[in-house]
Amino acid sequence: MIRLRDVSLKPAGVGQPVLHGMTLTIPQGEFRWLLGPSGAGKSSLLKLLTLGAKPASGQMDILNTPVTGASRSTLRNLRRRIGFVPQDYRLIGEWNVFDNVALPLRLRGRSERDIRQEVFAVLDWLDVAPHAHSRPTTLSGGEQQRVAIARALIGRPDILLADEPTNALEDSQARRLLATFQELIDLGTTVIVATHNEGLVRDAPAPSIMLRDGTLDPHANEAIA
Amino acid sequence: MSRRVSPGLRSGSLPLLVALMTLLAGLALAGLTGVQALADGWAQAARSAATIEIPTDIPNASDRTDALIHALKALPGVTNLQKLSTDKVQDLLAPWLGQPTDARKGLPGLSLPTVLIVAHTPDANLGSTVHDTLPEAIVQEDMQWGQRLEHLGTSLVGCAWLAVVLIAAIAVLSIGITVRRSVAAQKRAVEIVHSLGAGDFTISSHIAGRAALLSFMGGVAGLVLLTPLTTSLATTLAPFTHQATVPSTFPTTLDGWWTTLRILPLSLLKELGALPVIAALLGWITAQGVVLVWLRRLP
Repeated sequence: MIRLRDVSLKPAGVGQPVLHGMTLTIPQGEFRWLLGPSGAGKSSLLKLLTLGAKPASGQMDILNTPVTGASRSTLRNLRRRIGFVPQDYRLIGEWNVFDNVALPLRLRGRSERDIRQEVFAVLDWLDVAPHAHSRPTTLSGGEQQRVAIARALIGRPDILLADEPTNALEDSQARRLLATFQELIDLGTTVIVATHNEGLVRDAPAPSIMLRDGTLDPHANEAIA
Repeated sequence: MSRRVSPGLRSGSLPLLVALMTLLAGLALAGLTGVQALADGWAQAARSAATIEIPTDIPNASDRTDALIHALKALPGVTNLQKLSTDKVQDLLAPWLGQPTDARKGLPGLSLPTVLIVAHTPDANLGSTVHDTLPEAIVQEDMQWGQRLEHLGTSLVGCAWLAVVLIAAIAVLSIGITVRRSVAAQKRAVEIVHSLGAGDFTISSHIAGRAALLSFMGGVAGLVLLTPLTTSLATTLAPFTHQATVPSTFPTTLDGWWTTLRILPLSLLKELGALPVIAALLGWITAQGVVLVWLRRLP
């Protein structure tokens, strides 16, 4: 479960908070679209939820763990339970695709044999297995995005966050990805997908979090607060 | 397949830096050993010598001098006694009094004292024996010089240690700067790994392990660079260690290396051998500290 109570986010060196008065609850195993115009705060909210920044004020619970004042080891353990597909993919260019995707499992101390099996299974499913030993920088945007998706899915996270995960994918791949998200939700994963793609939202209707000017749009979010 | 969980350390210059630092530290340690040996030798020599001056214009000077020489020879702790000849005394005083035109007549208007040089152990009671036997004699213990030399030796040893400590400090600083630059250059990769749940210690240990390995390699390279200087020092020291033959500065066999190096004190060889390990340890500790501090900026 994700719970925010009057949370604000103010990055260092920025005068005004980029998020403010955020209060929302998302039960475990549910799906939300994260919508809003550019600059509304979608990426900032995702950064907050991936524990890439600490709230300036308010209370935030992730997977029933209070984040405010949590120790570094608690935050580290929480991060291992969150999968994230960033808009800019955030792959390590010096490592090959296999090592990038294997990282979440290695951090959990899994055996290399298991890791090899699981990594190739997910790369196969996303049609990037032939590039397992290539560097991400040699791949196309769509292939890099699929590698980033593979890395987010490989650990079977309890929370999956994705920032425009289909913008470099073909329609058929986007539909397969949404089907995968549905499978994860069925297994109890909370999934939040930020997108500008109205067609995608129309094809898969679901509750949404609408942001405007760094806060929840009061007219669009009555049901989720 | 490598088990990658964190970016490593990017640095081609670290082994070179550590090699140069090891070379400097090795030179300082060799210097330290030499200075220590020299200071000990000076102090030992100065502590065990005394000069006795006996005026020659006192009654029965010759007989009483012989009596004193006899008493001193019988004194426990006196290891050697030498009476300087008149010529020798004149030679010693020549810089102040000038050379007489006729050596047999001495300097006009001056009666030169008889001078005894006594080598003794520190516990020999020289003063009271001389006072009892010939009160007019003046005993000049070189102990005071011994103390001065001891202080000088201690200061030199202190300076040598200071050089070793400074070299270690510069090594730590160099490693710290190198690691800091490497982490900054890989900031994005470190942030990604951190965001996926890598612990601070996991990241820092990975980088520190690499820093330790590179430092160790640099340390070994530094020892190799130091070898010609070490063997050269050994061949220089050989005459002082009563070696029958002077060993080769550049031996070609393993036995030859051992023959050359064993002239050096074992403690110095041990210290030199420990340098790569110390370099690796400093590299590991410094990298851990730098990376852990850097990671504190991440949430």
